[in-house]
Amino acid sequence: MTTYSLPLVRRKRGATTRRARDGLFIASVATLAVIVGIAVVAAVVPFAGDPAKIVGPRLSAPSGAALLGTDALGRSVLARLLEGIGTTLVLSAIAVLCTAVISVILGMVAGYLGGWTREGVMRFVDVLYSFPSIVLAILIAAVVGPGQIAALASIVLVTVPLMTRMVSAASMAVAKRDFVTTARISGVSGPVILFRHVLPNISGTIAVQGTYALSVGILVEGGLSFLGYGVQLPQSSLGLLIQEGSSYMVQAPWLLFSPAVVLVLAILAINLVGDTLRDRLDPRETRSLV
Amino acid sequence: MLQQLRWSAGRVVSALITLLGVSILIFAAVRLMPGSYEDIILGPLASPEERAALAAAYGLDRPLVLQYFSWIGQIFSGDLGTSFVTQTPVAVELGARIPVTALLTVVALVITVAVGIPLGVWTGVRSGAKQGGAIGRVVSGLGISVPEFVLGSVVVFVFSRLALGIQVGGFSQVGAGFGPTVQALLLPAIVLSVFCVAASARTTRDAVMNVLVEPHIAAAVARGETPWHIVRHHVMRNAGIPILTLLATITAYLLGGAVIVETIFNIPGLGSFMVTGLDRRDFAVVQASVLFAATVFIVVSLVLDLITSALDPRVAVTGKAGS
Repeated sequence: MTTYSLPLVRRKRGATTRRARDGLFIASVATLAVIVGIAVVAAVVPFAGDPAKIVGPRLSAPSGAALLGTDALGRSVLARLLEGIGTTLVLSAIAVLCTAVISVILGMVAGYLGGWTREGVMRFVDVLYSFPSIVLAILIAAVVGPGQIAALASIVLVTVPLMTRMVSAASMAVAKRDFVTTARISGVSGPVILFRHVLPNISGTIAVQGTYALSVGILVEGGLSFLGYGVQLPQSSLGLLIQEGSSYMVQAPWLLFSPAVVLVLAILAINLVGDTLRDRLDPRETRSLV
Repeated sequence: MLQQLRWSAGRVVSALITLLGVSILIFAAVRLMPGSYEDIILGPLASPEERAALAAAYGLDRPLVLQYFSWIGQIFSGDLGTSFVTQTPVAVELGARIPVTALLTVVALVITVAVGIPLGVWTGVRSGAKQGGAIGRVVSGLGISVPEFVLGSVVVFVFSRLALGIQVGGFSQVGAGFGPTVQALLLPAIVLSVFCVAASARTTRDAVMNVLVEPHIAAAVARGETPWHIVRHHVMRNAGIPILTLLATITAYLLGGAVIVETIFNIPGLGSFMVTGLDRRDFAVVQASVLFAATVFIVVSLVLDLITSALDPRVAVTGKAGS
């Protein structure tokens, strides 16, 4: 008689997990709220001072005068960090909003109509998907010129393929259901079916994919700005600050530390929120792996 | 069987269409970039006659459609053009850089398979008794959330500061021997594989958990099979397809040039080739290397799909793997 360590698994998840997940979800949402809140407050009331102002000697360590130290020009790292968080979040959020609109329309139409329409949309999306994301981003930046527009366009084009695929798959499943057939037979027009019947039923997928797209967006902005093609000086963004930090790492490690921690925390929190949303709203296994 | 053949043929056709689209997009992007060939070679002070002569010499005065087709034709005859900057054929440079990126991919992939999959199987099997706790989720989430440019910078700093005996950057000449080359690629491969390990552990864990709830596992437990036997024969076979899919995606992603890691560690691979090509507006280099990266991705996903449909015939019928 052998003893088992392989337990029988029930489909239902235990109450302990639920609680642990909820705790993690709340912690993630709280982290995001703090990051966004600080950036918003800093944009309204510049409590950390002017990010462009020189406040002390170059590359001085964190102290009472400059809480997170100063950068290579003697500017306050805290003030620049707050500005950078704002830039990164606003850029990524706008980009993901664009992605959501494009992907939802393309994906719904493709999933609902099927056939050649779907083929066409999928091939278009596949073309974009075939480029390594950072390569696509750099290519776009080379065409439109480095800057915020380049970062925005890159995030959109990098995140559109996956979201469109997921929305299309979800719409296809909804389009097969009886209430859609009924609506079609009773003469409801295509656009009305899409917006009144399909859209509400794929909102879970949209929320989940939008969340993952946001974390990819922050990553793309970071990578692009790190390589010098994204947000340009004298503005600041998390990617740009990390790039500056990595070039002064030996003399002033604190330059890298604060933006890196904020960036990782933000991406981690968004991913964890996405996981929880997926478990709750989108039971099918659809996971972003970008 | 017939259905499967038809499905495979369709899959090949759509891969070819995708490839066509990719080549058009690359061609268009390069033409749309500010700064023309004439500006780059002759500089801003050239006379219109000189510019026209150069355009004629490179065939740039022909319609774009013709230029596109002649580019495609050249590729098929093995001519990838010549780098403006170094004046060497792009095919030669690409040939020197692909092995470097390929080796980096292999080392990173070995780490991923050796660490990520066992980790995923272990957490997946264990999670039946007590669902993966918050700590596990944070750790695997962290692996996915730490960007390469953060991790890479920190690793370079730590290892160059503390002199831990592992070589940082300073990639030796290509062809310096297998041992030193692998050693130089070890740190960048570790940086690359952190994401891949976390991603593959998550996917494996989910796949294993999805199989564990199947009735045939309960039957195997009831028959008195050992856990190891159950995992090997019943779980892994069924969990194989999502894991294979992920590994293929990771391979394609790594082969496409780990742009950021290659930049941080100064590795003369495909990724840094693309970036320097773009920086110098070396169009032949950009066109060839980006096309190569995208082609690798398309071919790897095509091969994956064909393998998947051979392993699981349900794919060809329903479009997705069973269970």
